[in-house]
Amino acid sequence: MIRAEGLEKSFGPVRAVAGVGFEAPDGAITALLGPNGAGKSTTLRILATVLRADAGRAWVDGHEVSDDPAAVRRAIGVLPHGAGLYDRLTARENIAYFGALHGLPKARLNERVEALVEQLDMASFAHRRVAGFSQGQRIKVALGRALVHDPKNVLLDEPTNGLDVMATRALRELIAGLRHQGRCVIFSSHVMQEVATLCDDLVIIGGGEVRFSGSLEALSRQTGEADLEDAFVRVVGTAAS
Amino acid sequence: MSGFGVVLAKECRDNLRDRRTILASFSLALLGPVLFTGLMSFALTSTLGESREAFRLAIVGAEHAPRLVAHLSAQNIELASVELADPRQAVRDGRESLVLVVGPDYPNRLAAGNPVVVDLVYDSSQMGTARRNFARAEQLIAQYGQKLGVLRLQLRGIDPAVLTPIRVSGIDTASPAARAASILSVLPYLLVLVVFMGGFYLAIDATAGEREHGSLEPLLSQPVSRAQLVLGKVAAASVFSAVSTALFLLSLAVSVPFVPLHRIGMSLHIDLLACVQMFLVSAPLIVLGAAMLTVVASFAKSYKEAQTYLTVVILVPTLPLIVTQMLGLAASPTLMMVPSLSQATLITGLIKGEPLNWSHLAISIGATGALAALMAWLAVAMYKRERMLV
Repeated sequence: MIRAEGLEKSFGPVRAVAGVGFEAPDGAITALLGPNGAGKSTTLRILATVLRADAGRAWVDGHEVSDDPAAVRRAIGVLPHGAGLYDRLTARENIAYFGALHGLPKARLNERVEALVEQLDMASFAHRRVAGFSQGQRIKVALGRALVHDPKNVLLDEPTNGLDVMATRALRELIAGLRHQGRCVIFSSHVMQEVATLCDDLVIIGGGEVRFSGSLEALSRQTGEADLEDAFVRVVGTAAS
Repeated sequence: MSGFGVVLAKECRDNLRDRRTILASFSLALLGPVLFTGLMSFALTSTLGESREAFRLAIVGAEHAPRLVAHLSAQNIELASVELADPRQAVRDGRESLVLVVGPDYPNRLAAGNPVVVDLVYDSSQMGTARRNFARAEQLIAQYGQKLGVLRLQLRGIDPAVLTPIRVSGIDTASPAARAASILSVLPYLLVLVVFMGGFYLAIDATAGEREHGSLEPLLSQPVSRAQLVLGKVAAASVFSAVSTALFLLSLAVSVPFVPLHRIGMSLHIDLLACVQMFLVSAPLIVLGAAMLTVVASFAKSYKEAQTYLTVVILVPTLPLIVTQMLGLAASPTLMMVPSLSQATLITGLIKGEPLNWSHLAISIGATGALAALMAWLAVAMYKRERMLV
């Protein structure tokens, strides 16, 4: 369960996030939707404790991100934008490294890695070094790495970027599976369709602010647009002008 | 295992799998001493063999000056009577390196008591022995001329000594041993370079490389303190640097006995104890180097950028060495306060077989160690800044 209130963050003169607040419950997928540069990544990075908000507060399972970052880090799994892996390590070693950093004991670590290899359908390539992996395989490894400590909350920053149709579908199923396991999933995207098929709640961000928050039906109702993309453009566009 | 240990183990394993890193980190350590001993052997043999070597002297018109030829052949010279239309061209082309040209008027002029000119053709721009051989040939020919002059004077009843009221006698004090010792002073540079090169590529890979590949952000969102993460990386660079240093010392110990130092009455042997002592001396410099490289590489956003910065950084520790060599400072407690310089001084002493000055060593370890700790702290502080990720 993640809650944010009035988050603000500036980089020099640029206000990347200017008052973002929302709530993401457990067992649900909350989408952060917005055009490029809207502040989605910055918001996620604040929640992941790698950036510190200038103002506002956010809680992950009741731990405040700047007061108790260590507890927050234990409670979240992060798939950052671009998800860098270590090319000279195998898929298993990449996942195990982060598990070890989380302090998982050896037996439990092996158990988790094998479970993830199976769950993410990586058996055919888990023993190979990551160099030369396809984008789809890389995302799976990065996701496995984010889930190795079995976090209750999962942050995914544009996970479907650069994936082909098959890989996107497979990933979508995996994300749906995370919801099924009762986790709180937040994922950012700029693709409306993707969001529509997957998410329970929608937070539309534009210009660093929340433009809309609620269900898909509520969005249709509020904008009077039947088409989701039109609704999205209307919400982002009217507020921006 | 703590976060520190996990990071240390991962960085070492990761970089051990990179052939390029291995090659670049350890090749100088292994080949440096071999090159060094090769250079030293060469310098020694060329010093010792200077006056003994026979060289080839081609003579055009040898038939005109049989006595001169006889005089020269009594020396250690390989004489060759040749027919050359254009001796200059032959030397220019490299067919001959030294040609003596005796003209057909030689016997007549000599008999008449007139001065004779013989040409000695050589190429001073040629590397190696050309100049030296020219000087020797010139000297021998002049010697023969002098002998003739002396005989002529005696024939006329004049003491030949009147021609040389003053004689200069040059005395060169440079011994082969001194030359060898001056080459020894290259070793500390080499050692400092080896210490820094050992951790060079790992430090880049673990910092700027990680940033470039986008793996730094997920790493920093793990529940491990920045201090553990960064010190793990510094420790990994130290391990590589330590391995590099150890390889260097072993390679040195193995290759030094091949230098023919006994020929100049010098003995230089580096035993296991000396190796261990040299390693002990280098230890704080290893950590300082690793921390320094980590700090500087952390400023860079890409592997290539870091490489550019660090190439400058590894020159820094050689600066104090150059300065001291120019000023000729002797070992002193103040000198021991300077990192790289103190290690270089102590190690030069150990190589020469002098006993280790323990109080100097203590100052060296203290001063360099303190700076290493400061650098490591600085590295940790850098990773606490948000800017690492922006």
